[in-house]
Amino acid sequence: MDLTYIWNSLTYFQAEIALSIVFVLLLLLDLFFKKTKYLLPIVSVIGFAVVGYFIFSTPTSDALIFGTRENPNLGMVVVDNFALFFKIIILLSTTFTVLFSISSKEIVGSGEFHGEYYVLLAGMTLGMFIMVSTVDLLLMYLAIEMVSISSYILAGFTRKVSRSSEASLKYIIFGAVASGTMLYGISILYGIAGSTNIYAINAILSYGNVSTLTMVFAGLLIITGLGFKISMAPFHFWTPDVYEGAPITITGLLSVASKAAGFAILIRFLKISFVDVTATNFQSSSWVIFDFFDWTEIIAILSVLTMTLGNLAALWQDNLKRMLAYSSIAHAGYMLMGVVIIDNNGLIAVLIYFFIYLFMNLGAFFVLMLISDKIGSEEMDDFNGLGYKAPLLCVSFTIFLISLTGIPPTAGFIGKLYLFSALIQTNWIWLAVVGVINSVISLYYYVRVVRNMFLKESSTGEVQIPLSWLNVALVIILLAPTLILGIYFQPLVEYAQKSVMILGF
Amino acid sequence: MNETLLLQLSAIILFLPLLGFVLLIFFGKRIPKAHAVENFLIFVGLVLSIIVAFGKISFFNDQKIVYEFQWLSFGNIPLIGYTGIKFGIMLDNVTVLMQFVVMLISFVVHLFSVKYMEGDLRYTRYFAYLGIFTFSMLGIVVTHNFLMMYIFWELVGLSSYLLIGFWFEKKSASDAAKKAFIVNRIGDIGFFLGILILYVNYRTFSFNEIFTQISLGNLPFGSSAWLTASGILIFCGAVGKSAQFPLHVWLPDAMEGPTPVSALIHAATMVAAGVYLIAKVFVMLTADALLVIAYIGAITAFISATIAITQNDIKKVLAYSTVSQLGYMIMALGVGAYTVAFFHLVTHAFFKACLFLGSGSVIHAMHHEQDIRYLGGLRKKMPYTYYTFLISTLAISGVPFTSGFLSKDGILGGTLAFANLTGYWLLPIIGFLVASLTAFYMFRLVILTFHGEARDRHKFEHAHESPATMVLPLAILAVLSIFIFYTPNPFNADAGWFTKWVKTPSTIVPQNQAFGFMIKESGEHSEDIVAHSLQYTEALHHAHSQAMYISLLVAGLGILFAFVIYQWRKISADNLAQKLKPLYNFSLNKWYFDELYDKTAVTFTIVLSRISAWFDAKIIDGIVDGTASLTRVSAFGTGKFDNVVIDGFVNFTAYFTGFFGLIFRRLQTGKVQTYLVMVLSGLVILFFILRSL
Repeated sequence: MDLTYIWNSLTYFQAEIALSIVFVLLLLLDLFFKKTKYLLPIVSVIGFAVVGYFIFSTPTSDALIFGTRENPNLGMVVVDNFALFFKIIILLSTTFTVLFSISSKEIVGSGEFHGEYYVLLAGMTLGMFIMVSTVDLLLMYLAIEMVSISSYILAGFTRKVSRSSEASLKYIIFGAVASGTMLYGISILYGIAGSTNIYAINAILSYGNVSTLTMVFAGLLIITGLGFKISMAPFHFWTPDVYEGAPITITGLLSVASKAAGFAILIRFLKISFVDVTATNFQSSSWVIFDFFDWTEIIAILSVLTMTLGNLAALWQDNLKRMLAYSSIAHAGYMLMGVVIIDNNGLIAVLIYFFIYLFMNLGAFFVLMLISDKIGSEEMDDFNGLGYKAPLLCVSFTIFLISLTGIPPTAGFIGKLYLFSALIQTNWIWLAVVGVINSVISLYYYVRVVRNMFLKESSTGEVQIPLSWLNVALVIILLAPTLILGIYFQPLVEYAQKSVMILGF
Repeated sequence: MNETLLLQLSAIILFLPLLGFVLLIFFGKRIPKAHAVENFLIFVGLVLSIIVAFGKISFFNDQKIVYEFQWLSFGNIPLIGYTGIKFGIMLDNVTVLMQFVVMLISFVVHLFSVKYMEGDLRYTRYFAYLGIFTFSMLGIVVTHNFLMMYIFWELVGLSSYLLIGFWFEKKSASDAAKKAFIVNRIGDIGFFLGILILYVNYRTFSFNEIFTQISLGNLPFGSSAWLTASGILIFCGAVGKSAQFPLHVWLPDAMEGPTPVSALIHAATMVAAGVYLIAKVFVMLTADALLVIAYIGAITAFISATIAITQNDIKKVLAYSTVSQLGYMIMALGVGAYTVAFFHLVTHAFFKACLFLGSGSVIHAMHHEQDIRYLGGLRKKMPYTYYTFLISTLAISGVPFTSGFLSKDGILGGTLAFANLTGYWLLPIIGFLVASLTAFYMFRLVILTFHGEARDRHKFEHAHESPATMVLPLAILAVLSIFIFYTPNPFNADAGWFTKWVKTPSTIVPQNQAFGFMIKESGEHSEDIVAHSLQYTEALHHAHSQAMYISLLVAGLGILFAFVIYQWRKISADNLAQKLKPLYNFSLNKWYFDELYDKTAVTFTIVLSRISAWFDAKIIDGIVDGTASLTRVSAFGTGKFDNVVIDGFVNFTAYFTGFFGLIFRRLQTGKVQTYLVMVLSGLVILFFILRSL
């Protein structure tokens, strides 16, 4: 009985199975073909492409799978468009990371363990896939751990670089504490509801006789754990150090894929657990949350804190990698604004923003990687006058930064536009104002880079940055959506509208 | 042949020149013979445009083929309402014909430029600019909404700026480019306001949707005055682009651009855009708006014809003649002669392009000599150029058996019929006067350039016929100026196919706001092609033969005078000029428009900018400086306060700040323990905040 149920569930799990096979395959290939340089990345990319095929071919009829004998319909994993959307984002960014790594000096130069890198990437992707689609607190915890442990190793992958090892160690300690905190919260919630399934938890909570104090305590502890993943202030402290220390490809991955998974799980958890289904009118998309746990207020405060802190700290950074780290904290803050609005418009805005953020942020990190590999520095002053030596890279970098700021006609503008208009529609005016002010602040440090590249005299001598066709192609592939989505974005909006349907809502 | 195919082909035609631009501007240096790529693309576009025009007219003659897509949509925004914008393409007969004309002129200009621009420093870039110019113009032609129209409208402005100022090292050229751009912007403000009036009311930019709303009696802000206003404001855009009085001043200066560019700008693109725009919005123009348009057109036609008489620069004469002919078209639209206005646009495109390219051929041969006083006798040296130029001159003068005769006759007939019905007799009088002037100055130009003795022997000796790639375009265009392409009967355009393809649409404005004769009568003729009243049809019919005789007479007189004065020299031109000195000077100095604008508008702008500069320097800076001083004073005060009063707290503050400074510095050095303390204390603080909420 159980077995047939699991067997039936597996049809919905094709992408994850494919990913597991890729994982094992990579592991084996690494054992047998140590010397070959391009085999593993090529196999990874092909494998991810196959996974991509399965993502789309899997039926997306909303369903809960992997139920138990007692509750066959209350499974641990959900199949819905929301998960699908995030899986696409995660798969895209992982694929990009693999392609980046082919020409990354840090990764290629790391020697014999080079192969494990790709194995770990596949494992991390699997973890993130589960993260975005789980509705069970325990599985949620396991998935997060799976992602975290892979990323600890990946962050310290260049073992011989001391700052990388240091970053990795800090990441582990910080992550362990965050996990512990979250587990504590989960256990309290389990104590209240008697179930780890968040739909069941929601049903129990809707009876209403829950102590606010306990609920706030448990909720906050879980938010802490999730906030760690999306580097939400005040749980962001690891971010600058780890982003700076990790290989730049991994920094890009952490700032996009792992953040996307974190957002997906945060949104799903908050929405399914704490929205009062009985009082909510889904047709007019007016949502009502349980009055004993008003998490919108707290997320609003945290979002303001996150973006302000990120932007203000970024102002003073001279290391570009660190600057981008703070900038990615700030972006998490912007996206949290969308989580605050609990109706569909807010979530649509977050989805749109994430899709755009994927291209512009990875683009910025990639160009930074290409340049810093050649000039051997990530310091802002070493970028002086580079605009005339490497025009393609610097112009692309400029476009990515402009897009990150959110200036038309780039895609970043559209992302912010939808966020702010969703805020205004739901009368979160003050939050929108704070967001706009923060965007203005961010202009300073983004444009500072552009100024250095194009307006300052070069301090170094002749620098040649030869580019392989792969790298030129990658830059253009990342650049195209950043520009095109700034002008024609209706399909993306429609897709996001379709993807915002979380199972049960 | 189906609708989708036509739409796809039109889209391809639209983007081919853009592709050329992108290729040439980014990879021009790497592609050998880059200009050939651009020429090839334009040629493909031309072939496709012929296919589209043929397909549209033969299979879907009376249909409007529309493709549109949602460009963006913000749904319902509080306080504003539904906000969404659609983009799209609309093909009707006017569109496909215009598309063909644009592509043809663009192609011959490209072809002509190959030799003409040879050896230029920025040869490839020149072709790239031609590409984007063609793209912008095609965008205006195929669009189905005002917003896209406006975007491409501005793109035309930009690309004309680039082309007019192509030889920007010459100050006169860069000045002319700026002048063209700025003067156009002035008109565009009106255009934009007009569009906004419509958008605010109808929440859409699409022509069809707006027209449907108006025909349902749903007027902007509920009043027909606003409808008139929006019509006139949109016309402002046409005034700028089509160089109508009082914004016609940019066009003669635009002659600073390379001559093929002048041909492109003055024949089928840019200046034609204004006329095309009015044709597109024709149905929503009220009687008042039409009257304004008719008079502006008439005034323009007259002023520029009088100026053209005395100009000595071969291109300037042609430039003013363009302005004058555009005035004709605008006037024709104003009096409701929609079909002939567009007909004249097409015929004028061919013969005017031919004239300009012919003048280019002359200038090329004479080593950039443009002053007709130093030309002469070129007939024998450049026979091809001469005969093509002559045919086009006959066409523009309105001599029978040419295309110009047919279309001009139609316009004059239209004004006569209009005057008959409404009593505005000034319009046909100006029309016939200008017809006579046109014949005169065009033959003056031909005689002085090609007949008689060479006045600059040295340059004349070296002159030679232009190469084949320059003569071929001339031949194509000259042949297209013959009546047979438009109608089998050289004296009646109605017998031809053009009037069957392009029909005057019936007006949609409320009945009391339109000229009575323009309202289509219901009843037996309702299914007929005539979209206006029978009365008007009769009047047109009646006016046709009248107009023909009078125009033949006045054109003959004009030509005769030109021969008397310049060929046979029975009357000395210099004596005549001497006797009519004030008039002569007035004309030679272009009615002093430039001086007038210089003294008024330009001076006013400069004074205004000085005032704002002063305001900025004294008042704003004063406020800023004042604030600064105030801040300094208060800072000083606070400083004192700080030093004296807060002193007691200093130790505590120092300790406190130091404590946080320490934490932050520790954060910088990266002790993970500190991070964790921060996290947990953050958690505790959050807990207390949330509990108290």
